[in-house]
Amino acid sequence: MFAALKEKILGIKSSKAQAKGRLHLVLVQDRTGLSGDEMGTFKADLLAVLKRYFVIDDTGLDVQYQRESNSTTLVINSPVLRKKPAVVTPDRKAEPAPA
Amino acid sequence: MSLANGNTDNAQKKLGEVYVVTSGKGGVGKTTVTASLGASLALKGKRVLVIDADIGLRNLDVILGLESRVVFNLVDVAKRVCKPSQAIIKSKKSNNLYLLPASQTDDKDVVSEDEVKRVIDQYRREFNFILVDCPAGIEQGFKNAIAGADKALVVTNPEVASIRDADRVVGILHSRGIEPKLIVNRIDFDMVRRGDMLSVPDVQDILGIDLIGVVERDEDVIVAANTGDPVAFNPKSEAGQAFMRIARRMCGEEVPLKGYIHGQGFWGRLGRRLGVA
Repeated sequence: MFAALKEKILGIKSSKAQAKGRLHLVLVQDRTGLSGDEMGTFKADLLAVLKRYFVIDDTGLDVQYQRESNSTTLVINSPVLRKKPAVVTPDRKAEPAPA
Repeated sequence: MSLANGNTDNAQKKLGEVYVVTSGKGGVGKTTVTASLGASLALKGKRVLVIDADIGLRNLDVILGLESRVVFNLVDVAKRVCKPSQAIIKSKKSNNLYLLPASQTDDKDVVSEDEVKRVIDQYRREFNFILVDCPAGIEQGFKNAIAGADKALVVTNPEVASIRDADRVVGILHSRGIEPKLIVNRIDFDMVRRGDMLSVPDVQDILGIDLIGVVERDEDVIVAANTGDPVAFNPKSEAGQAFMRIARRMCGEEVPLKGYIHGQGFWGRLGRRLGVA
């Protein structure tokens, strides 16, 4: 408790907190096999697909590798505001949706 | 024992559980964990075989103090140079603990995954537990070591490099359908309290697998390696006691983790109530 208190009061990050932060970042890359740039492209591609069917909050897209006791899964979370009224045909000819 | 009796005996004998002790990173304590858990399970009356799968860099024999008794090894058994019973060495300290050493002169490609599986299957009926000491890395040696395993014990130190490698290994184990359990080894609770070492809950959060035990840094472990007398046979040693707790959990007993590990002590609880810890 005292280490955490010291952190909060003095505003300095303990070395363990730095370790945790760095590990979280590096493990997302290791687990997905995607570099920082590739992850950006992957998310942009995902957003493009999702937006054909739903109106979504761009900033809320979250991609995580989650661990259960015997499996690892890719979890994609995207806050959906509402479904898009227009239907997109498979060959990508979208009828424009009323805004 | 006549052949007929031998067959019915074998049919009724429960097959032993095979655990691979792995980590990814080298030097985090796999061999010590394998030797000590083997010793602890043997003290509980279980028949245990520990297998050194680190072909070319054998160490389990030295940690168990059996280095002068090695005649045949895992590769000999795999290549049918000798009978399985000829290759295993009984521990000096327990009639329940046996070692199958690695070869020191070959490299890791000399046996295949199927060969290792067959070797393990030959011993399954004779032992309650088989613990396989896995080499570091994720190449052929690692793949061979996990080949025959039902479950895995993933050993990690509460340090960045060790955890990163352990995470990779967990991913591979999951893809092979092998259930991993976590052992946090060499933790120093003073450093954790000072904020200079990741805590057990930190490691659990990051790796996301079930914890089976925690072992504190303990000088007795080095002394034990010097003398070839596994630390688990020393009832005064903290690490030895920690290994016994893990062995008991492996046997299905409910053994609670020590309170200070989860910050269940007074200060930990107070910190959480204040929203600080």
